[in-house]
Formats: sequence, C-alpha cells, structure tokens
Amino acid sequence: MKGAGSVPVQASLQDNKGFHLDVKAMLIAAIVAFLLVFNVFPMAYLVFRSFFGENGFTLETFKRIYTYPLNWNALRNTLVTAGLSMVFGVMIAFPLAWLVGRTDMYGRKFFRTLFVMTYMVPPYVGAMAWLRLLNPRVGTLNVFLANLFGLSGNPFNIYSIGGLVWVLTTFYYPYAFITISRAMEKMDPSLEEASKISGASPLKTVMTVTFPIMLPSIVAAGLLVFVSAASCYGIPSIIGAPGQIDTVTTRIIDYVYVGSAEGLTDATTLAVSLMIIANLVLYVSTFICGKKQYITVSGKSTRPNIVELGKWRLPVTLMVSAFALIVVVIPFATVAMTSFTTNLGKPLTAANFTTRYWRILFTRKGILDTVKNSLISASVAATAGIVISCVMAWLLTRTRAKGRHIPDFLITVGSGTPSVVIALALIMTMSGRFGINIYNTLTIMIVAYMVKYLLMGMRTVVSAMSQIHPSLEEAALISGAEWQRGFRDVTLPLIAPSVVAGWFLIFMPSFYELTMSTLLYSTDTKTIGYELFTYQTYHSQQTASAIATGILGMVVIVNWILNRLTRGEFSI
Amino acid sequence: MSSITLTDVTKSYGSVQVIQKFSSVFKDREFVTLLGPSGCGKTTMLRMIAGFEKPTTGEIKIDDTTVSSGGKFIPPNRRGIGMVFQSYAVWPHMNVFENVAYPLKIQRVPRAEIKQRVADILEAVHLSQYIERMPNELSGGQQQRVALGRALVCSPRVLLLDEPLSNLDAKLRESMRFEIKDVQKRFGITVVYVTHDQTEAMAMSDRVIVFNKGAVQQMDSPMNIYRSPANQFVADFVGKINFIHGVASGGRIEFPGGQGMAYSGEKRGPVVVAVRPENMTMRTDKGILRGTLSQAYYLGDTNDCRVDMDGIALRVIAAGHTYGQIDVGSPLWLDFDEYLVFDDDGVDQTKILS
Amino acid sequence: MKKLVVVLAAVLVLSCVCMAGAADKPKVTIYTSMYEDIIEAMTEVLHEKFPDYDVEFFYGGTGTLQAKIAAERDTKKLGCDMLMVADPSYALELKELGLLHPYVTPAAKNLALEYDPEGYWYPVRNLNMILAYNPEKFKKEDLPQSFKDFAYSEAMKGFISMSNPLTSGTALVAVSALKDKYGYEYFDKLAANRVMVESGSVALTKLETGECKMVMILEESVLKKREEEGSALEVIYPTDGVICVPSPIMTVKDGWSAHSNSKICEELTDWFLSPEGQGYIVKGWMHSVLKEPPAIPYDSINTAEIVKSAMPVSWENCLKERSDLRTNFEERVKNKM
Repeated sequence: MKGAGSVPVQASLQDNKGFHLDVKAMLIAAIVAFLLVFNVFPMAYLVFRSFFGENGFTLETFKRIYTYPLNWNALRNTLVTAGLSMVFGVMIAFPLAWLVGRTDMYGRKFFRTLFVMTYMVPPYVGAMAWLRLLNPRVGTLNVFLANLFGLSGNPFNIYSIGGLVWVLTTFYYPYAFITISRAMEKMDPSLEEASKISGASPLKTVMTVTFPIMLPSIVAAGLLVFVSAASCYGIPSIIGAPGQIDTVTTRIIDYVYVGSAEGLTDATTLAVSLMIIANLVLYVSTFICGKKQYITVSGKSTRPNIVELGKWRLPVTLMVSAFALIVVVIPFATVAMTSFTTNLGKPLTAANFTTRYWRILFTRKGILDTVKNSLISASVAATAGIVISCVMAWLLTRTRAKGRHIPDFLITVGSGTPSVVIALALIMTMSGRFGINIYNTLTIMIVAYMVKYLLMGMRTVVSAMSQIHPSLEEAALISGAEWQRGFRDVTLPLIAPSVVAGWFLIFMPSFYELTMSTLLYSTDTKTIGYELFTYQTYHSQQTASAIATGILGMVVIVNWILNRLTRGEFSI
Repeated sequence: MSSITLTDVTKSYGSVQVIQKFSSVFKDREFVTLLGPSGCGKTTMLRMIAGFEKPTTGEIKIDDTTVSSGGKFIPPNRRGIGMVFQSYAVWPHMNVFENVAYPLKIQRVPRAEIKQRVADILEAVHLSQYIERMPNELSGGQQQRVALGRALVCSPRVLLLDEPLSNLDAKLRESMRFEIKDVQKRFGITVVYVTHDQTEAMAMSDRVIVFNKGAVQQMDSPMNIYRSPANQFVADFVGKINFIHGVASGGRIEFPGGQGMAYSGEKRGPVVVAVRPENMTMRTDKGILRGTLSQAYYLGDTNDCRVDMDGIALRVIAAGHTYGQIDVGSPLWLDFDEYLVFDDDGVDQTKILS
Repeated sequence: MKKLVVVLAAVLVLSCVCMAGAADKPKVTIYTSMYEDIIEAMTEVLHEKFPDYDVEFFYGGTGTLQAKIAAERDTKKLGCDMLMVADPSYALELKELGLLHPYVTPAAKNLALEYDPEGYWYPVRNLNMILAYNPEKFKKEDLPQSFKDFAYSEAMKGFISMSNPLTSGTALVAVSALKDKYGYEYFDKLAANRVMVESGSVALTKLETGECKMVMILEESVLKKREEEGSALEVIYPTDGVICVPSPIMTVKDGWSAHSNSKICEELTDWFLSPEGQGYIVKGWMHSVLKEPPAIPYDSINTAEIVKSAMPVSWENCLKERSDLRTNFEERVKNKM
C-alpha cells in the first residue's frame, strides 16, 4: 500500500517546479506529435481514401470490395486463423510461462531462452520448414509418422486452415509467452502462498489464484497474438497460397500487386476492415480488462516462490522438451539442413551436401546490402524506440502528468494495427503529398517499425520500472542527488537488463520484418526480411534457408555474448 | 541547532483533504513521534517535511530556511535531511559500503574521507564486518541499519524515520529502539519518527503527536498522552482501556445495569468512563463496582483478567502473584482511583476509521 | 553494465561504418525481374564496359515492381531510369501513360521479335513458359505433353502447380494466351485439377520432392537448376506451343526517371541488344531476341524452333483484359477451393 501511495510523490515534487512540468508536457507533446504524424494521421487518411476516390465521395469501392466473395472468404479465414492461434497460443504460453517462471522444472533458463528465441526468428522461416515437414504428399514428418504408425495415408496437410493455425501458433505464442512471463514475475508470491495455506493444491492454486490474477495480462497477450497473426503476411502467403487459402493480408498484397492506382485503392479499402477488427479487439479488451489491473507489485525484492513439482518434475520436463523439440528444434534444424542441401528431393548425404548457398550469403552484394540496411533501420528504430519507452515508463510509473495515457494509448493502437495497414497508410501520406516525403528512404522503414513494435519495448521497460520501489529513488534524492543523478545511479542500473531486453524486442522483429518492408522498400532500402522472402519464393529456397539460419545464428551468438558480458544477468 | 517549524500546513489530493491545518515547532534535538493508525496522514506529514510532497497550503521551515511555502520549494536533495524508509530502500545493486558512501559521493567528499566516515558510521550501527556484503546477503535488521547508516553519514540536521522497525521481528525491534535513541543522543540530531506502534512512541519520544483522519488529536509528552488523553480516540489508541457508558447527574454516574459511582466532575448527561486495566484492583471485601471474574490468564509478570459487570466485559490487569486468589466465576468488587470521564456523543470514538 | 554500453555502442558504430561508401558517378538504376545471379554477373560486366557510370540493378518480381511503379507514379518520380521487366503489354501501358523515353536504336534491325517502331520499347530477353517434370520420380510418357492435357488430364489432379497471374507477369501472359486458345474453360479445368498457385522456387522444390508431378514454369528456372545444381528436372516443350514472353527493355523519360540520364540509358540499350549483351542473357538461361542468336541457353533447344511453334499471344488482349483475366482467374481457380 505504501508503494501505491508513493507514486504521486515525484509528480507533486516536480509540479512544484514549473520547469519540470514543462519538461513533462513537452515530452508528452513530442511523443504524441510523433504518433499523430506517423500513426494517427496516416490511418485516418487511409480510411478517408477508401471513401473518397478520384471523383469525390463514393461507396462504390467499398461495395465492390466487400461484395466480392473471395474477400469474404479471406476475412473469414483471417478471423478463424487468428482467433484459433490466439486461443492456442495462450493455452500454450500460460502453462509454459508458469512452468518456466514459477516451478522447479529442470532447465528453466534454457527453455526460457529457447522459447523467447522463437520471437527472434522470422515467422515465415517457420512456414518454410513446416512446408517441408508436413506437406501432404512427401512431408518428411508426415511420411515418418505414417510409417511409424502404419497409416495408409499421411496424417497431416499443411495446406489447410489447420496447418495455417499450427504454424501461426508455433510462431506467435512467444509473444504471449513474453507478456505473460513478465506479469508472472511481477505477481506477489504471497498471493499464491495464501491459497496454498488455505489447503489448495498447486494446480488448484494456479487455476483459482494465479490464472484469475493474470487474466488482464493473458487477455493482453492473446490480443497481441491475434493482431500479429491477423496481420501476418509471410506465413499465409507461403502456407496458404498452395491450398488457395487467402487471408486479408494476402488479398491486400494481391491488390497492391495489381500494380495500378485502382489496385492501391482496393487494397486500402480492404485494409480498413483489418484495421477495424484490430481496433475493435483492442478496444473491447481494454474495456473489459482495463479497470482490472490487480497485479500486485511488491516493493521488497522478494523472489517469486518456486513451486516444487515433486514426482511430476521429470515428466513435466520431458513434456516441455518434447514440445520444444517439435516446435523449435525440428523446424529450425530443417531450415539449417535445407541450407546445405543441393537437391531437396534427396536426403542430405555427402554427395548432396553443399556450402555454396552459404558462400552466396557471405559474398553476394545484394544480400550484404540488405543486411546493412536492416541493421541500420532496426537499430535506429530500436534505439529511438527504447528512448521513448524509457520516457513513457517514467511518465507512467513516476508521474501523474496529465495526458500521460494518451501516448500510451496511441502506442498500443499502433502496435495493434496490422502491418500492411501501417505500410499502406505511410506510403500514401509520406510520399510528399502532405509536405513530408520520406518514401524510398530508410526513415520510412524506421518510422513503420517504431509504430509497429514500440509496444513490446515499452511494456518491458514500464514493467521493470514499476518493479522498482519509488523509495529507492527517493533515497537517492534524500542523499542529496539531483533526480537526474539518482536516475543514473539507481534507476538506470536496475532497469538496464530490461532496457536491453526491450531494445532487442524492438530490434529483432524490425530486423527481419517482411510485411511492411514488402511495400516500403526501394532501390536503396531493401531489407533482409524482404530479401529472404524473395529468395524463398523466387530464387532458391536453399539460399533463403542459409539467410534464415544466419539470422538465427546471429541471435544465438549475440545472446551468448550478452550473457557472458553481464555474467548471466542478461540474456534474451 | 536544528528545528522544524510547520505553520498552517494542509495537504489535499484533489478534493480530499488528507492533512488538516497543522502547526508546530519541532525543537532542536527533540525526538518527535507522529503516531496514528495507517492512513491517518502521519506519513504524508513526514514526506512533506522531507520534500517528497508539497503542502497544499502553509509553510515549512528547517531552522531559518523556508523549505516550502507558497512560491518557494526546496527539493529533498537540497534539504540536508537524513531519512530511513519503511522498505529500507537499500539499493540492491550496491554493496553496504557503496550504499552508505553514496550521499558523500554526491557531495564530492574526497575518497579517503569517505572511507573514514563510512567506517565510523558502520561502526556506530554495528555493521563494520559486513562492509563488502550485497544487500540480499543481509538480514532485515542489517539492511535496516544500512539504511540508518546511509541516513546519518552526512551528519544531517534532521533525521526522518518512516516506520523503520515495522518489518523487523519483536526482539530486534526492541533493541533497535534503543539503538536509534542512542544514535540520536550521540549525534545530537532532531528526529521525526513515524509509527503506528504506541510502545515505540512511548519508549523513544520526547513528544508524541497523535493523528487520526488527518487531524491532530493530541500533542504532548508520552506521559501526558497516556495519563491524560485528550479524547477517547487517544485514550484507546495509546495503551489499553475500558470504556463504560453511563449517565452523569447529581454527583453520580449511573450505569445501565443499575450500579453507579460517585462523581464530582462537571459533566452531565451521557458520559463514558474510561479506566485503564492496570488501574483497576479486584477485591473481595469492598470497591466501587460489583462483578464476576469470568476469565483469568497467568502471563508471568501479570494476571490478565476479564470481569463481567452486568453484561459488560471489563479487562483488569493485576500483578502476577494475584493469580488464583479469586476463583473464576466468583463475585468480586472492582476498585479504582484513576479514571477519566468523556462526554458520550453517541459516536463510537474507539473505532479506528480513517 | 558498462560493458553492455560498450557493446551496444560498438554495434552502432559498426552499422554507421557500413553506411559509408558509394562514389559520385552518373547513376542508372534498372528495375528488373531477372535472377540475382544474372544481375550479379551483369553488374560486373557493365562495371568494366562502362567504367564511368554506376549501373545498378534492383530486383523485384513483376507484380512487386509494377506495384512499386504505381505507387511511385503518385509521387511524380520513379525510383529507376530503365526497366527490364514484364511483357510488351506493360510496355504498351507505360507508353500510353507517357512515362517512356523514345530511342531508335540501330540494333533494332537485328531483332527477331516485334518491337516498337517509335523506339519506346524493345524486347531484350525471351522467356518461355513451359512444363517441367522430375524424371527421377515420374516417367515422361505418363505425363501430359501439352498445356491442354496439363489442365484436362484427370491423372494430374492435385499434382500440378503454376505461378500466380495476379503477381507474376509471365503467368498472366500465359493465362491470357491459354484463354485465347481454349477459352475460360481452361481456368475451370485448372481448378478441377486442383492446381496449386505458388511461386516458382517453391514449385520446383515440390517437383524435386515429388510433391508435384508437373509444373507450369519458366524454362530458365529449370535450366538454371540443371546447370547449377545438377538437377535432373526436365523441360517438356508443350505440343500446343511454348508461350513466349519477350520481356521488354524501356527507358524512363527524363524528369520522371530517378537520375535523368537518358543518354546513358541509350548506350545501355544498344549494349543489351548487341550480341555481347545478349550473350549474358543467354548465360542467364534466357533466349536471345536476335535473328542470329549468339548461343542457346544451357541444355535448351534452338531459339528459332521455339519461336516458330510458339502459342500466339495478343499483347493488346493482355493489356485490355488484364483485370478480366485476373478476376476470372481468382473466381474460377482461387475461389473454387
């Protein structure tokens, strides 16, 4: 209670100095201005464009687009796949987050890294792998399973709604995992202890205490999975295309690829539906759960208590290992193996082994240029994003500045907006028509990445900040330190691991981003995500696999280095 | 040489007033305790002195420096105050030495001097052997002493303590009381101490200020607070007490059960007679009120009893050796000489509402 | 903590260092849908041939590039100076829109294929839509030998694949020609045979793994795999005619173009249409557009032979019916599933 009571402290402290009030107002204004220009305005214009064609107001386009059965199918497919991915994603993520965060399961840290790692890998890489594993005719895993169980046919067909849901789920559950884990870490362990002391079994405790308390985070996690899955282009375009399963995103890109002005208008009109769905989900979830923020934050640094699994310890570990094997190891191994295989129709034998795709990866200028572009745009987006995140964390947890929830809300809306929509909106508004021309530059990429991925970084830093009891900062003040100095000496070191983690949570998806880059890239600004996708679909799956494996390798190495340098304090 | 002067200080959050108009002077080297139930406003008062909260109206001076008034506000870091937080607020990423040395580092004190002064302070708070430890390797009491050391290392004019002992176990709490008192004397500083524990307040303070619902109930020495509480709330909050409702008229107070007692005071009408349990004596021969012994507990130093007086349960604390002299269930007389009479306005003042 | 900062700083510095570079020579950017391998080879040659210019290729699928150009038209400036993409119908469209720079090249007289007499566009490489199969998995005699049987043979049901005419220019030309020859019924037959609509590289992998028996695909991609990877995949030149798509080379008008170097573009046009330039096209497994081709692509058959028996394509229809074709394909094929 003391903690909660202390929150207004610095607010009132700084309210006393007009100067600080201005700083806060200015910071809020700056962030809001950024979001207004690059987020709100483009979206609004997009909606406007879908109603106002070349010849003034018209519902013609709307009628045409939304009476077309193919679009309805796509809409239905999107809702079904994203909805199911959300449900399954949360169903997987919650127990995993609990097992990894709150139990004595073997290898918790390893599993944690493994699951979070999936977030660091382009989702369409997974699609590539599952395509090879589970295609209905000769899928490696399919054939293996059929032989194993003596089935007459292959059990799975990846080119189906089910297949799409499977791949979406296995690649987007990490979003939920990260969100839920974070809330788990914040939960006061005595709440669970109280339940146990009342005689509840560990499972009962999870169901009756942990789960309800975590509900807001779970809903937030589910929403994140839903929107990510609904706005994903890579996976449905690779998995869905052969089975003629269209989603709204693939339809939008199809319209864009028609290559005419009309096509663009059609695309935006269809994009509006995706935007409405996403915002509706967002609104409903905030409406339902917004008021129920009953995560208890403990001021003292108590470690969450560890549930002893007892006789379940080994079986549970084995189950999680099996899950990790199927969802993480097998697909990644498949991709890695593909990158060394000459003829994909034959097994990977010495004769069929080649390193030429890796040589291409390291020598081809086109690829190296895109790596450079992606490195630059992703690091700038991540750095700028994390600065905004830190400011927002300060505003949200340490001040009562008026309007501090406006940027928070806008950032959430931005991340909730499907990538395709963001990209389309930016193209239309940022190509000089309204005085800003950043089209064909890396800046537009950076802006798009920030709008889309800021939320993950912000949530991480805000969560870390809210775990730091304000009295720690007050103690610095009372020791004579100016608040800036106190921030540097006390707050920053304590939130540093989260800041770095947040940086990576923005950096990685920006680095391999595909959907927006597909629309925003130009001659000089092609990104590795797009390059990977072109290699996958047009040139050579092996080269694409080599690039993907390279990205994965880079993530592993960076993670290892960070872990070493910080002596285990930080790992992804 | 450090006094704190508060003049007409109030504090509101929006339309909710949490501190009503308060004025007082905390004298140099005085140990002032702000006592009250949680949420009564005592912590807010302390935080206004520290500078973490700004009074809505009024003025705060430390010595002759106005630290807070209408237009002027000195932030906490320039007030030269030491403070110990309830949660200790020992920085988890710094070891004991770094924690304690921090205020000196901020003041750019030379290295050698920092070393010496930290060593001295750690000596004073009995932490010399833990200088290299990280906070998570320390017990609660040790962390608390780190916080105390950090608050004292700059020889502050004023030391503020916000329920510093509430997270410690009973034994440690008792010994820490003496340590804090000892430190105050040795360093000769003015202390403002916030607690909801009346024993702490009694044991350490020169002056106790009892708060409830943002308003001062009484401001006096521990003895006066105890023996002459200003109202029922103070009487009940500080120490143990029995309340017997009755009606005063014509030199007597009549109780609902039919008994009465002589009364020479000025109050008339509904009244509450307040008697501390240790001021009552149980006798078999004579006394003021009749009753029946319903329970008796032997606590070693005391004999803690419940006496039923016409359906009203009264607590009586007698000396330990009296245990067993009267059988439970037997009738007895209650005798007392020290008691208080309050007006009974029908409101139950003993309920701690805030 | 300090080390962490150092690492992050190092990453930033590195990325900044990477940013440096690029000299100030007159620049020409070419949008093309040619393979990156070919682009790489050509970039080197052009660097030697035209040391004073900085010629840069930008790869994209036909649909991607068309979408890009459409978006760029909005901004009144394209990102390129030359185009080597799509088919003559797209050239006709851009000419109509007035985006192109006319240049009558002396090389025109050597061309074997139709070109724009006013010099707005010339064919520069001949792409052939063919059928391909994997002899290691299936026997040639069991498979259709014509586009017609590809769609009509029930034995093929669920085993065929083609590119998406919505995103691929050559696929659109192919369905246009097939529509002209067999009517929209052809689309229905494709749908009945449950054709998988996907990109070329995926389709080829499916041939290799045996997931598909046969795919409708560009000859060059099969030839490339044969030469580079020793793949066994084989081309079937359909008996009802190969669908030839002469992909044009065009120069963007100064003012619209990225660098307004149309004079250099003219030089480049001449080179691309010269026997030497065509040699590189052939090395990229595409057929030459010259009356006397410098060579034929690896493992292919005579260019003249293919052109002679090619299925007729009406570029006018291609342009006029583009959206009809797309809609019909969507509704008849994609929406059927």
